Amino acid sequence: MGFETFVQTFANALVLGSIYAMVAVGLALAFGVMQMANFSHGELFMAGAYVVYVLYSLVGLPFLVAVVAAFPIVALIGMLFERVLFRPTRGNVLSGFMATAGAGFIMQVLVGQQWGVGLMRSVVVPYKGSAEILGAAISWQRLVIIPATIIMVGGLWFFLKKVKAGKGLRACAQDPEAAVLQGISLNKMTSLAMLLSGGFAGVSGALMAPIIPVTPYMGHVYGVTAFIVVIVGGMASIEGAVLAAFILGFIHTFISTVYDSVTATMVGVLFMAIVLVVKPTGLLGNVKV
Amino acid sequence: MTLLLELKNTAVHYGKVEATRDISIKVLEGDIVTLIGANGAGKSTTLRMISGLVRPSSGEVLFEGNSITHLPPEEITGIGIAHIPEGRRVFPQMTVMENLEMGAYLRKDPKEVARNIELVFSHFKRLKERVNQAAGTMSGGEQQMLAMGRALMSSPRLILMDEPSLGLSPIMCQEIARIIKQIHAHGSTIVLVEQNARLALALADYGYVLETGDVALEGKAEDLREDDEVRKTYLGM
Repeated sequence: MGFETFVQTFANALVLGSIYAMVAVGLALAFGVMQMANFSHGELFMAGAYVVYVLYSLVGLPFLVAVVAAFPIVALIGMLFERVLFRPTRGNVLSGFMATAGAGFIMQVLVGQQWGVGLMRSVVVPYKGSAEILGAAISWQRLVIIPATIIMVGGLWFFLKKVKAGKGLRACAQDPEAAVLQGISLNKMTSLAMLLSGGFAGVSGALMAPIIPVTPYMGHVYGVTAFIVVIVGGMASIEGAVLAAFILGFIHTFISTVYDSVTATMVGVLFMAIVLVVKPTGLLGNVKV
Repeated sequence: MTLLLELKNTAVHYGKVEATRDISIKVLEGDIVTLIGANGAGKSTTLRMISGLVRPSSGEVLFEGNSITHLPPEEITGIGIAHIPEGRRVFPQMTVMENLEMGAYLRKDPKEVARNIELVFSHFKRLKERVNQAAGTMSGGEQQMLAMGRALMSSPRLILMDEPSLGLSPIMCQEIARIIKQIHAHGSTIVLVEQNARLALALADYGYVLETGDVALEGKAEDLREDDEVRKTYLGM
């Protein structure tokens, strides 16, 4: 691998790791606070991409506006899921799995009925051209994902560590019953967790809309990848999810550049298996939210 | 003395299993009332029912004459009942200061919160030295102090303490007993659940002996200390 290819691959890995991180932190947060896994997380990602498709491609609003709008719109879907899927099934992991997996399929069908199935929903790239970094060319469209992730994940970190409601989320993740005894409402906190989780998935999908084909099924692979990231990171750990996202982003990008993407996926899953054998709780499994 | 808390013929079921059958308890403002009894007698269940974590299947819970039987636990905290759960249950990955802030979650006035933090530090000097330490890395006794301090942060009228001496060294038990007295002297009403009946009856004004979900005996703590049955069964004399 020449130096230019290396720089190019390194930058691609950073971008991929960033997207993985943004999708996965929301899943980890929701799991931490609710102790329930959201199997429609990939469809929330897809919903974010369709917000961009509708507002930017069809309506003609600026791309940035569409991306920002994806946060509240998909956050609302997340809150709706909390209210009608997670709250009634609280404490029953299997019911939660069935309900959210079903909701994911329903979203795919609804979106497909409204805007069609197939690979025709491509979004025109708003940020054309590419940056020259150490001889490698990295498209602006991909490059903007890195600062976006820093802002979003940094903002989440600040919220969880410094803002009262964020600390309440951590308290719920660490001991829900003790949190309730302090006067923290579990319902409000699970709702807030799903709001943030949906918002993060939505913005991730929105940023990827010009880069990957927008289809009703585009969320599947990102949902599965987010699960792998979160399992490797330690389920309820935000820091673990970010760490695992970049490790897997680098593994996937470098191996698919040198070999191919099938090998890369296999090595990624193998890595997950090794982590689970060596440290069943994940890389940072003892850290809760 | 005014009646602060009253349980009227409360029963609790976990599914079909009966945890308590018919418990009636009165707590006067300013008193320390203790519930003693063997494992499984229903002591913890009774505290969990008062704070709303479990619902009674029959009976009523009155706080200052108003029924709180069906209030959610976060609202029960809001009206002035703090529950220090068994096993301390501090937030392990939050600092001492963050744990105290969580105790004041419902407080709106930052000045009042700052005043409560000073009050907690005056009771527990050790916590002040460790404000930035993660709670989970502290000793059992320190965690118990933090759990008590966290409860005080809500300025409660009534404090429910579940087994505060559990798993602590004899010296630390004495320290916890001293602090309970100090908190009580500060004007708090306390319901104390303890397996260490000797410690509990030394601190309390009034006591209830629970046996398999019923009140077997009640009376002034000094009378219970002299009761033959209590001496034999719970004090080992």
